[in-house]
Amino acid sequence: MASLIGIDVGGTFTDAVMITNGVIERKGKIPTNQDDILNTLISALDYLQISEAKNIEMITVSTTLVTNAILQKRLPEVKLILFPGTGMKLSSLPWPVDYSVLTGVLDYRGRVVVPADQSEWQTLAEKLNKQSIKPLTAIVSKFSHRNNVFEEQLAAYLHREAPGIITALGSQSGQANFYRRSLTTYLNLAATELFQNFAYQLKMAVEARGCRAPIRVLKADGGVLPLAKIRPVESIYSGPAASVLGTLAQSNPEESYVVVDIGGTTTDIGLVLSGSPLISTHGAQIGPFLTNVRSLAVRSVSIGGDSAVCLEQGEVMLADYRLGPAYCIGGISPTPTDALRYLNLTDYGDLQRAEEALGLLLPENQRTASALRRTAQIIVGKMVEKIARAIEQLLEEWKTEPAYKVWEVIHHHDDFKFYIQLSGGGAPGLEAALENRMRLRTVLTEFSEVSNAIGASMAKPTFSWTLHLDTKFSIYRIEETGEQGIWTGPKKPHREVEDFLKELAQKQAVGFGIETDDLEKEIFDYFPLVENYHTVGQIVKGAMHVPPGVIGRIRS
Amino acid sequence: MNKTGIIFFPAFDWSLGEFHPEREERLLYTQEQIFEEGIMDLPQVKQYSPGVADLFDVLRTQAIFPDLQQHNLDAHLIAVGSSLVLGNALMKKEITNGFALVRPPGHHSGATVWGNRGFCTLNNEAILINVLRAKYGIKKIAVIDTDVHHGDGTQDIFYHDPNVFYISIHQDGRTIFPGTGFTEEKGGPNAWGSVLNIPLLPGVGDEGFLYALENWIMPAVEAFKPDLIINSAGQDNHFTDPLASMNVTARGYGKITEMIKPDLAVLEGGYAIEGALPYINMAIFLALAGEDYSGVVESQKPQNTEIGGDTIRSFLTDLKRTNEAVRPSWAFRKEPFLPTGDWVYSEKSIYYDTDGFKENRREYIRKCRHCGGTVLMISQKPSAFQKAVLVRIPFEACPDCEQAGYDLAETFQKSEKTVLLQNQRRDQVHFWTDGREVNPFGG
Repeated sequence: MASLIGIDVGGTFTDAVMITNGVIERKGKIPTNQDDILNTLISALDYLQISEAKNIEMITVSTTLVTNAILQKRLPEVKLILFPGTGMKLSSLPWPVDYSVLTGVLDYRGRVVVPADQSEWQTLAEKLNKQSIKPLTAIVSKFSHRNNVFEEQLAAYLHREAPGIITALGSQSGQANFYRRSLTTYLNLAATELFQNFAYQLKMAVEARGCRAPIRVLKADGGVLPLAKIRPVESIYSGPAASVLGTLAQSNPEESYVVVDIGGTTTDIGLVLSGSPLISTHGAQIGPFLTNVRSLAVRSVSIGGDSAVCLEQGEVMLADYRLGPAYCIGGISPTPTDALRYLNLTDYGDLQRAEEALGLLLPENQRTASALRRTAQIIVGKMVEKIARAIEQLLEEWKTEPAYKVWEVIHHHDDFKFYIQLSGGGAPGLEAALENRMRLRTVLTEFSEVSNAIGASMAKPTFSWTLHLDTKFSIYRIEETGEQGIWTGPKKPHREVEDFLKELAQKQAVGFGIETDDLEKEIFDYFPLVENYHTVGQIVKGAMHVPPGVIGRIRS
Repeated sequence: MNKTGIIFFPAFDWSLGEFHPEREERLLYTQEQIFEEGIMDLPQVKQYSPGVADLFDVLRTQAIFPDLQQHNLDAHLIAVGSSLVLGNALMKKEITNGFALVRPPGHHSGATVWGNRGFCTLNNEAILINVLRAKYGIKKIAVIDTDVHHGDGTQDIFYHDPNVFYISIHQDGRTIFPGTGFTEEKGGPNAWGSVLNIPLLPGVGDEGFLYALENWIMPAVEAFKPDLIINSAGQDNHFTDPLASMNVTARGYGKITEMIKPDLAVLEGGYAIEGALPYINMAIFLALAGEDYSGVVESQKPQNTEIGGDTIRSFLTDLKRTNEAVRPSWAFRKEPFLPTGDWVYSEKSIYYDTDGFKENRREYIRKCRHCGGTVLMISQKPSAFQKAVLVRIPFEACPDCEQAGYDLAETFQKSEKTVLLQNQRRDQVHFWTDGREVNPFGG
């Protein structure tokens, strides 16, 4: 029988599950070693004690490798070269990295307004040749998602004049937003080597255990891609995505709910609308970097079962950090876990030590049962309040998403009957309090403690193909792949263009190992291009998606 | 740096027709430009999502004849609603200014509405202004209309309102739609001087525009001491506009915005879809957000000769002299249906160019020393043999004018099929069909 393995590297614990035919065969948690993600993953695999390695069909991991490297500034430097053209001044936006600027202007349809200046390129190549190690070089031009001519020509020039250079082009992630595209290209190039090493070693380690199953990586948008196909930067923030998918695999596929996954240090919150996880309209932000990485609309709140509880001017406060495990399981600081234990809302940890932990927050002469109880309730109340506010914020964000069509506004917010699907370590103890505060039915996810790993193991591959076609210029572009090509169809296409995109998507999906049975089509927009009362062409915008989802449901 | 709100609602699925200049492609390149520049990522910028206006908010300001069901208002209600979202955000001090980059436009839509004219069915700014007055008690508002066309609809709505100062600077009405907006049009009997029209010679560019702003418009606005300034931001003064003949640049628009310092700007016309809109919208937006707009450069260069220098300066000096010399002359009329008081009479004919018919209107304004005065409009759409009546009791109406309004409504609901009473003072709307009061909102 074929089994699926899912591993989610979290901030405190790494979850692992092995699932066969929708039934959880083995599950467990091991502590995460943030300084050695690779060995954490391998230990998690070993923990599952795979006996019949050949029966493993797929291994899916959600890793914090790239997230950590970015946040801890451990990535190599990248030389960022920009063709900003005209428009807003670069200095208007906060750039977290240095850049240099070259001449050349494109307009919004990709037409060259001012050509590039090759004498500048020569100076640049000379400078690069003087450096002992050739820096990684990211080249991004404004409107390169409409025409990548400057990027490609400069890259070709540099490869010729400064051999050994490694380049990445902004148009390879061809979405609008020059700023985010620049930073995404930068981060992806910076993370490539680290990720490739990791991928290689993980593959070796898996094979050393006699397992030849393909390894996939979870992305921020809740989809998976094969280890070799993923863009490293897309693996950021896959933890919250794993929470949402884990819940999806354990709930009714039609329903709408808020996912609340309470971890040790963070609580992840996501939104599912009629069985589909909500995708954020903006790209993910990581540290000071705004990116165009597609991600689920999630909120991560820095509060969890292990959050340190401290006193500030006599008042009990929840810190947004952790000082080791909860007191009741041998830690040094009182935590919400201790409060829950003391109130008998959970049975995790030692009751005696939970009482001691709460006592630390009271003067010695005031440690009565009722005072301890009140303190515990305050802690739980504060935790619930923080989570509730984040839920409200996410719901508000969803309600105020931009819309660009009459249809979207009129049909924007059909009534969804939300409830809360709660998972994670401290979940059972918070159920009643959260239900009370939010006035929403709150349900515990069954395999709450390994929900994220379940999410990883059951996640479907995702991909999108967003087409921009300008039949006046006979050029088409695909945002996600950066592909730019010649359109040979009619000036005023209709169905042809949908078939064209569908065929292209199906062809490319094979290479990604993605099934396209449930390819979703977005409504295509057709803009007539009129000159002197004659239609000279059309601009067509449309997209096909393999949406995020899970391959099945968990049976209990 | 200003905290600037933006609503971008291009209504990509709403169109008056493929060859129509007001078509769905109009904001396509603006979207390309603003998304690519990443202006929504500016730390001081907040993007709001579009809203849908309430029909009550519409009827408080405009009479929709013969009834609401005759019009497809979806796209228009969103354009209005989006302006209201920014108005509310401004009042709640979430933003210091805002730009409603929406279509369809609105400033040709007047006090009575039988259809679409100049691509407008509902007047975005006028409805916004009256919401701000009704809901937040704002007293005085100045509207600066920088569209190349005279905003005859907005002027029509506020012509008798002393608390709304409507200023329009535009290409001379003898050379362009809608053929109004002459310097002699200065407001009704109770609101003389609350309208200022500056019709410009074709060919005027940045220099002339900025000269008029600096030497005439802004001093007049300062003297009026408005609580709020609203900019009807039409983009068709641009040197590439196909419907007009002016020479303003995108950076000129940036400078205009910097000078006007509007609390809210609402997009109006502008039909140079490729040459002007993406650049002007960027420049206006950056100026509102307090950012440098000098890098916004059109890919085309101006070709036409600009009217500037002494020509425009002396032209404007003469125009100002003419404007100041105009004296009011009212025609009074007595009719059996008019309540007590002196009633000024006028009539006008309004052509609905998009739909191709005419509205004829007779207007009676109660001359009043205490308030804006009750207004009676008897409106006819001869091609459909339809007639309808609007009675408007103004904001801050005096008791006599309010009583006159009620008397008129009572008289006409007996004799006319369709009667709308706007009691702006009490924030009420009443609608009668065949003598029976109906809920105009269809509920």
